[in-house]
Amino acid sequence: MKKSVAILLSLTIIAAQAVAAVDKRPKTKALTDEQRIIHVLNRLGFGPRPGDIERVKAMGVEKYINQQLNPEKISDSVAENKVHDLTVLNMTTAELYEKYPQPGQLLRQLQARGKLPADLGEARENRVKRGANANASEMPKNDAMPAPSPENPLQNEKYRQLIQEYYRENGLQRPERIMVDLQASRILRAVYSERQLQEVMVDFWTNHFNVFAGKGADRWLLPAYDRDTIRPNAMSKFSTLLQATAQSPAMLFYLDNFQSVSPNANANANRRGPLQMLRPQPQQQQRRGINENYARELMELHTLGVDGGYTQKDVQEVARCFTGWTIFQPRGGAAAVNGMMGREIDPGRTPGTFVFTPRMHDDGEKMVLGHKIPAGGGMKDGLMVLDILAHHPSTAKFIATKLVRYFVSDNPPQVLVDRVAAAFTKSDGDIRETLKAIFFSNEFNSTEAYRAKIKRPFELVVSAIRTIGADTNGGPGTHQWIARMGEPLYGYQTPNGYSDAAESWVNAGGLLERMNFGLALANNRINGTNVSLSKSNGDQSKVMDEYLKQLLAGDISAATRATLLKQLQPSDSTTKVVGLILGTPEFQRQ
Amino acid sequence: MNRRFFLKSGSVALASVGMSLSAPAFLERAVLGQARSTGKRKTLIAIFQRGAVDGLNVVVPFGESSYYSARPSIAIAKPQTGNAEAAIDLDGFFGLHPSLSSFKPLWDSKRLTIIHASGSPDNTRSHFDAQDYMESATPGVKSTSDGWLNRYLQSKADPDRSLFRAVSMTKTMPRVLQGRADAVAMSNLSDFAIRAGRSSAELQGGFEAIYARENDSLAGTGRETFEAVNYLKKVNPAQYQPENGAQYPRNPFGNSLLQIAQLIKAGVGLEVAFTDIGGWDTHVNQGNARGQLGNLLQQFGAGIAALHQDLGQRMDDVIILTMSEFGRTVRENGNRGTDHGHANAMFVVGNSVRGGKVYGQWPGLKSDQLYEGRDLALTTDFRDVFGEIATRHLGSTDAKSIFPGYSLNQSKFKGFLA
Repeated sequence: MKKSVAILLSLTIIAAQAVAAVDKRPKTKALTDEQRIIHVLNRLGFGPRPGDIERVKAMGVEKYINQQLNPEKISDSVAENKVHDLTVLNMTTAELYEKYPQPGQLLRQLQARGKLPADLGEARENRVKRGANANASEMPKNDAMPAPSPENPLQNEKYRQLIQEYYRENGLQRPERIMVDLQASRILRAVYSERQLQEVMVDFWTNHFNVFAGKGADRWLLPAYDRDTIRPNAMSKFSTLLQATAQSPAMLFYLDNFQSVSPNANANANRRGPLQMLRPQPQQQQRRGINENYARELMELHTLGVDGGYTQKDVQEVARCFTGWTIFQPRGGAAAVNGMMGREIDPGRTPGTFVFTPRMHDDGEKMVLGHKIPAGGGMKDGLMVLDILAHHPSTAKFIATKLVRYFVSDNPPQVLVDRVAAAFTKSDGDIRETLKAIFFSNEFNSTEAYRAKIKRPFELVVSAIRTIGADTNGGPGTHQWIARMGEPLYGYQTPNGYSDAAESWVNAGGLLERMNFGLALANNRINGTNVSLSKSNGDQSKVMDEYLKQLLAGDISAATRATLLKQLQPSDSTTKVVGLILGTPEFQRQ
Repeated sequence: MNRRFFLKSGSVALASVGMSLSAPAFLERAVLGQARSTGKRKTLIAIFQRGAVDGLNVVVPFGESSYYSARPSIAIAKPQTGNAEAAIDLDGFFGLHPSLSSFKPLWDSKRLTIIHASGSPDNTRSHFDAQDYMESATPGVKSTSDGWLNRYLQSKADPDRSLFRAVSMTKTMPRVLQGRADAVAMSNLSDFAIRAGRSSAELQGGFEAIYARENDSLAGTGRETFEAVNYLKKVNPAQYQPENGAQYPRNPFGNSLLQIAQLIKAGVGLEVAFTDIGGWDTHVNQGNARGQLGNLLQQFGAGIAALHQDLGQRMDDVIILTMSEFGRTVRENGNRGTDHGHANAMFVVGNSVRGGKVYGQWPGLKSDQLYEGRDLALTTDFRDVFGEIATRHLGSTDAKSIFPGYSLNQSKFKGFLA
């Protein structure tokens, strides 16, 4: 620890010296007005649509930034209409469990009630289990290898058909549909929303507080996570957002806290209650214990950062504080069967919602980062921890660094990070104030930052669709391209989230997929996304320049332009022009 | 019509490549190199088990009574004839998880070895830090910019200058191969092309011309990409048939291993291959002989056994090494799983290993023998394992430079390689 502090100090000194040196030289070149508009549309949003640059020019870029910082004041009817038919978005977790049940679970519950149709039961018995693939890392991947072929495919096919019929007859949907809808909503909002910065921040925080859809019940929990946890808090106070994630069933499930139990819990849990429900096999007289997973990632990844000054002891103490923060019926209980039998959900006991269970809680005294958490605090223990962490200087530094890397440069300038961290602290973690410190800084508005960041796959796909003026339904045909380039939404397994630095995305396979995506888009070969390009009039130079202006605001070197032009025959269609431009190194940058 | 291509660093001339229709020069060199060295190019296939596999249930110390008292519901039973759910006896003290039955023939023919109680001396229990440290091979130092396999590549010039000297069968370049030396990452050989139907060749030509022009890192990557694309077209990956009756598991892991075998057989000068397999973070309902861990191990073992079988005699020059960021707690937790621990077990497979033996000092599992009172203690630093392979298999003459800040010493090598 001492060593890293020393390194940090010396780095700070070096950085300070570097700044002093820079100050003697001519000032960093500021952006032209036009460049600044393009820069803002690229970084505060997912790139310009046709007409956006003129629109921002007319209203003034600073006014545009301030407007984006207050998304609640921006009317967004187009985007809301686009996502209107994605029914998953407005359903509670309990309703999702009811209408999108897991087939295996549903069948077991039907059987327990003696309601399992005979043919379905038989088909299930005959089905060859996939077995080896039933691990937590599995999630539906559009580009994954085909599933292992069963020994008797006919029986498996029969089972699938019967399930399909049963689902149709009973108004049920397969759980895979949940993620399809949720991913579509992210793409649609990024493409169509006028609240571009809001969508960018949703992307940022979703990644910062990463949850993997392939882990257990998380696919049922993620729509609420997006709607109730991330979105309403994406531009509020960091402490509010942090608490919302801490109490979100999605996070509680993902990082196992929902089943972290005080070792002393058995002593005071001889009554019936949620603790019993957590024990699928009550005959086992074994103690359920503390799970440190959330406590560790909360400090390492959500707040302080790995060198933020906590110890293994702190991890253990924080884990004790969060015992009892759990989920009522984390896997939905018998929601589907109950729903089919016409039973209403008891609003007081809703499956898949946060609950604090005192009987699971360790109520002794704890010490966290030098703060005493008094005995008997109950749920307040966890709230105190969140408060300590949200206001810790390491958190300000960690969040500032991540934001500056995200919005400005892969190598965050230390002076800017320090200023942004100060703005974070001064505003009590107000996200808007923190962002302002970035957007109005010289570093952000400098030529060094201009088109310097590599677009991540999600950003690339959305920006291409926007800039070419394509129409999309955000469906799997579009999402699979994002996945192929390596960034399936909600598909990152480990809690650190996708990398934001170029070296993670600039590799042979990913680059090739980027070029292939551009070609597929220009050729209208993406299912659910449509683009109509103008017909070429044979003057390839003119056609090319028009598209260079539309797609890159003309930001391309004369040499590359000449090379591009050489590729074009008079008979070539505009799709080739557009496909090539979308695949240029220039279009990969923002 | 030759163009000089440069690596990402801009400093090392990589290859000169003619028009896409003529044979790439690097391939000619690779073929010549193979002939010159009579096919004795050594290859390392490194497999990362991400998520921290529970080494104590993979290579089971069934001779320890503490093992059974610490794991009342998830322990693997002692070897017992006729019991398919019991450990597979190796040496009377250690046994393999029953899902690793595919490893038994390798063990019996002395082509498989285990280094137990090995890993990183750093006490972090964070997946990300521990993976980072294992891939950079600088435990406790986060600022190391490159991975150890990349530093190996840097430490030794490749006379063939093969474009496929280092290949990662992953979507993104893993930390272990990041660095100045050239490496290629891809998730699938057959997708590795411009896919635009009849216009593919024409469009590829267009992109090649564009990417040839610029000199930022992106354009450099683009140029490397097209060299690789052009070569792979010739290998024709779609037609591949594994040999010797090898059957790879039909999943992404099996697919990665199959394609590594394909590259080795194609003689492109593959020296370092990497892939990974996730899902080992078994905090909850880990299972014992059956269940989550068993299912994963089955895939894992079957994949490696198939690779070994497919490569046949070529395994004389190939070593397969497995690693995972740390082990798991000796005691099972309250969710019939295990939490993040410390030391772990590594496998080394190849015709040249002195197999059929568990290497490394066994620290024991009694309470007072545990690391920080809870985990398997570490007796072999993973850098000694990596170092032995780099020196004795890959033939590095400067292995010290691969492990900065560590006094690599041959006297600490375990001796699983002659």
